[in-house]
Order: sequence, then C-alpha cells, then structure tokens
Amino acid sequence: MRTLDWIVLVASLVSIVAYGLYRSRGSNTVDRYLLAGRSMPWYAMALSIMATQASAITFISTTGQSYVDGMRFVQFYFGLPLAMVVICATVVPIFHNTKVYTAYEYLESRFDAKTRALASVIFLAQRGLSAGLTIYAPALVLSVILGWPERLTTSLMGAVVITYTVLGGIKAVTWSDVQQMGVIFVGLIAALVTTIVLLPHSVSFGDAVFLAGAAGRLNAVTTHFDWNDRFNMWSGLIGGTFLFLSYFGCDQSQVQRYLTGKSISQSRLSLLFNAVAKIPMQFFILFIGAMVFVFYIFVQPPMLFQHAELSRIHGSDAYPQVAAQYNQAFDRRRVAALNLVQAHHDGDPGAEARARSDYRGAQAQLDGARAQASKLVEQNGGEKGFTDTNYIFLSFVTRFLPVGLVGLVIAVIFAATMSASSGEINSLATVTIVDIYKRHFRPGQSDHHYVSASRWATMFWGVYAVMFAGWAGRLGALIVAVNKVGSLFYGSLLGCFVLAFAFRRVRGTAAFLGMIAGESAILATSWFTDVSWLWYNVIGCAAVVAVALTVTYLTPGAASATPGTQPAQ
Amino acid sequence: MSHKLIPPDEPPPFLGTWVRVYQAIVVYLVLLILAFYVFTRIYQ
Repeated sequence: MRTLDWIVLVASLVSIVAYGLYRSRGSNTVDRYLLAGRSMPWYAMALSIMATQASAITFISTTGQSYVDGMRFVQFYFGLPLAMVVICATVVPIFHNTKVYTAYEYLESRFDAKTRALASVIFLAQRGLSAGLTIYAPALVLSVILGWPERLTTSLMGAVVITYTVLGGIKAVTWSDVQQMGVIFVGLIAALVTTIVLLPHSVSFGDAVFLAGAAGRLNAVTTHFDWNDRFNMWSGLIGGTFLFLSYFGCDQSQVQRYLTGKSISQSRLSLLFNAVAKIPMQFFILFIGAMVFVFYIFVQPPMLFQHAELSRIHGSDAYPQVAAQYNQAFDRRRVAALNLVQAHHDGDPGAEARARSDYRGAQAQLDGARAQASKLVEQNGGEKGFTDTNYIFLSFVTRFLPVGLVGLVIAVIFAATMSASSGEINSLATVTIVDIYKRHFRPGQSDHHYVSASRWATMFWGVYAVMFAGWAGRLGALIVAVNKVGSLFYGSLLGCFVLAFAFRRVRGTAAFLGMIAGESAILATSWFTDVSWLWYNVIGCAAVVAVALTVTYLTPGAASATPGTQPAQ
Repeated sequence: MSHKLIPPDEPPPFLGTWVRVYQAIVVYLVLLILAFYVFTRIYQ
C-alpha cells in the first residue's frame, strides 16, 4: 500500500460514513431508528439488500473459487429469483400490513409467544455467531496479505461500523450500503479491466476467454444431479430456492431492509431488482477470477498464495521435488496455451485437439503439484484441509494492480465487510429490543426509552462482534464448524413461516414442536450423512411442516385454539 | 391471519400487474440459465 492507496482507502471510507450519517438525521423515534419511518425508496433498499448479503468473503472467496474450480458456483444463486417472486407475492404484503418491526413478531400474532421467542433466539444465536466472523474473516486475509495486525483491522472496521450504526440506525445503514455498493461496483469493474489489460499483448480478450474455457474455468452450468455436489443446476434451483426463501423471508437482517419501504410496491421492487441483478453480478465476480487464472498462465504464480504456509513447507524434504514439478508444469502449460491459441487461430481442428489435450494435461499436473503442496502444509503442522482459495485474488491485487487501484480494492473489502456487519448488528439489536426486551422485560415504556435501548443494544452487538472476531483466531479449525452452524438453523425457521402463511389450521404448540423436530432433522442430516448443506433447508422445512401437521391432526382441539389477531410489540 | 387484511396491490411501474412481473422474472431466469448453458458448451 502506497500513499495514493491510503488516500483512496481513507477517502472512500470517510465519504461512506459521512454520507450515511448525513442521510440519517432525525432518527429519533423507534419507528425511524429501526425502520426509517418506513420511508425508503426501492433503489436504496435494493442496494442495501445486495450489500448486506455480500460480505467481503463473498468477493475474496468467489474470485478464488473461480480460479480453482471454475464458474459453477454461480448456480448456487439460481434459486434466488424464484425465492424473490414467492416472497414478493406472499411475505411482503403480510409483513407490511401487520406493521411488524421484526419477522418473528408476526409469529406471535399467528401462533403464540413461545414460537416467537424460539424463532428470535434461533436468529440471535445464528446471526450472532456469523457477526463476529463477518469481521474476522476479511481481517485474517488482510493480515496475511498486507501484514496488518488482525486486531487493528477488526477494531478499525468495528469502530467505523458501530459509530454510524449506533448514531444513525437503519437509515445510516441503508444509505451507507448504497455508497458501499457504489465503491464495490467501481472497484470490481476496475479490477476486471486491469486484469485484462495486464494480459500479454499477444493474447486478446477472446483468446483469454478461450483459454479459461479450455481449462474448465467457464463451467457455469452443470446439469448432472448429485446429492453430495454443492454446485449443480438442481441443487441451485431447489436447494437454493429454499435457502433464499429462508434468508430473505425469515432472517431479520434481510427482512428489516424491505420493511423500511414506503409501500408494498417499493419493497417488492427492491427484492425484484436483486432477482434480476444478483446472478449477473456473481457471474461477473466469477469471471474476474477466471481472468486472473488466465493472467497466471503467463506470469508464474506462487505455488501457494498464502506465503506463511509456503514458508512453512520450504524446508521440508519433499519440497524441492514438488516445487520442481510445479515449475515444470507451469512452463509446459504456458507453451501449451500459446500453441492452443495458435492452433485455434489457424483453424486446424487436429492441431487444436492435440494442443488442448496437452494444455489440460499440464493444468492437471499443475493442480497436482498444488495439491501436494497443500498436503505438505498439513504434514508440517498446518491447518487440516488447508486451502489458499481466499488468498488468490488479494495476492494478485497487491502484486500486480497499479497504485491507487490497490487502495480501491482494499476499500471494496472494507465496504463489503462494513455493509454486511452493520446490517447484522442492526438486526440483532432490533430483535433483542423488540422481541426480547420490550416483549418480555420492559413493556410499556416511552418511545425515547426504546430508542435509547436500541442504541445500547446496537453498541452491545457491535462490541460483541469485534470481541468475537478478536477471539476467533483461537478457534482454529473450529471456525469452519462455527460457519457451518449458521447454515443449520434456516430450515426450521423457514418451516415455521411456511406453516404461518400456508397452513391456517396449525397453531402455536404444533408449530413449536415442528420447529424442534425440524432442527433435529437438520442436525441428524449434518452429523450422519454427506448430503450437501444446501439441502438442509429443504429437509428442515419439510420436517417442520410434516410434524406440525401430524400434531395438528392427531391432537383433538389443537387446531381449534384461537390465535392472536394483533402483532404484539 | 386473514388474507382480507392484505391491502390492495399497487400496480407495478411496468407490465401492468404483479403477476406479469413475476412471470417475466421466471422467463428471465430460464433465459439466463439457457445463456449460461450455451456459454458453458461453447467454451468447454
């Protein structure tokens, strides 16, 4: 990072926060502080929804994923437009009409207080765990790539997020998100253009795309069905639909974005914008990774992108042999790539087939050497299941992007972290105050009291996230487990909302038992099978509905209890 | 929760009704997947 990079980074962050705070003036009532007085236009909500969903790891990891495995990760998002349509048609009008502050508040009016409390606690547990990791994960990558202390990075990002979220509430969060998405778009476009410009003059953009495709990096669609494969068209369409129904329909960090809308129409438009824009955006990010892959065909990349781990294996007995194999494979791939491009230009199918075969063989040899290096890391006391995917893009940025642009890409990482984190702590505070504090501990207090309590709750969750991030480094491999925990809760929450919206005879106790059964089904699937986590939401939701319906129809009188009609606050 | 509580739909700014907008989104998704499939096949 040089002076110009620092200027770009600091200017980006200061302008984001200043604009967010400027737009949040007057957030002095609960309605304004938590829901922006239900006054937000669709485009602000749309960008806020997009920003909240896209954390820094989305950008860091997705590009690396494409480099290593190609673009098939885009299929993960195929269910998103379908989920958005369902949510717009069902959830949005009901939430708007009942004027709830949280999704779980609605559950009390539909079922009972214990179902609302259970859903709220599930959300707090799940989102609370991920709030710390949202800050920690990019801080870890920045510390490895740039040498910044993790504590400094987490504290800096945390302090900025806490400041504008506590002071400005949801308005500051939303308008900052708009700015942050602007920085993210500009940074990503600049990164792609620069990557293409950095390619050798003899390789055109068309050649680069051709080479990426020949190495299997442009495999955007896989039609083969496999329960254990996370990314194919079917897991994306079916599992992804359920996942995004859960996320956008039951997770307060997203629901709160579109509850701030001026009208049902504005909220719907914000979600439908994401239905249209999200997949192309992910395709674009993955495409950057594919172009970085092509760049590294002509400029030798490090065998491992995490230099500390490379240093760890440098002295091992097996290292020279693996390194020699890697160097040889790189040279072979570079020559094979040039031959392939030449054969393609010459229009000679026979020569092209031979060159393609050689190119793919060299790629396999290179991948093999990298896999051996990763194993060496494990054998020399490194992390089990070590992978350097998250370090590929930032390593490329810091080594090859021009001055100024490095600062902009680091600003993208900061912006993405802050937007995801602010949405999380804002929603955690809202559920804490509305569903727990106001409902169970201090009902009937003044508006001023609840605004003040909301600020303190925001402060609490922000400090908690920073402290958790500081402590997360000690979790080691457990971080993976903690990350996975986040994906274990959505299915039962979704099942509860499906019961609420679609099965009018089901009452509170049946829904409550259904949620517990759904959660048990997900945990059993996770522990005893290899089924990909994208299917957990389908399994959990189905178990909730099946058990709740069974209880409803087997228990005399259970279906005739009268539910509440007004949402409690 | 009675569905009578749901206020009447405001029309969308385009395509006349929300149902048509939803249909357009589904058609868009199908076309997008088709385009990605063709993209994959061409560069495979």
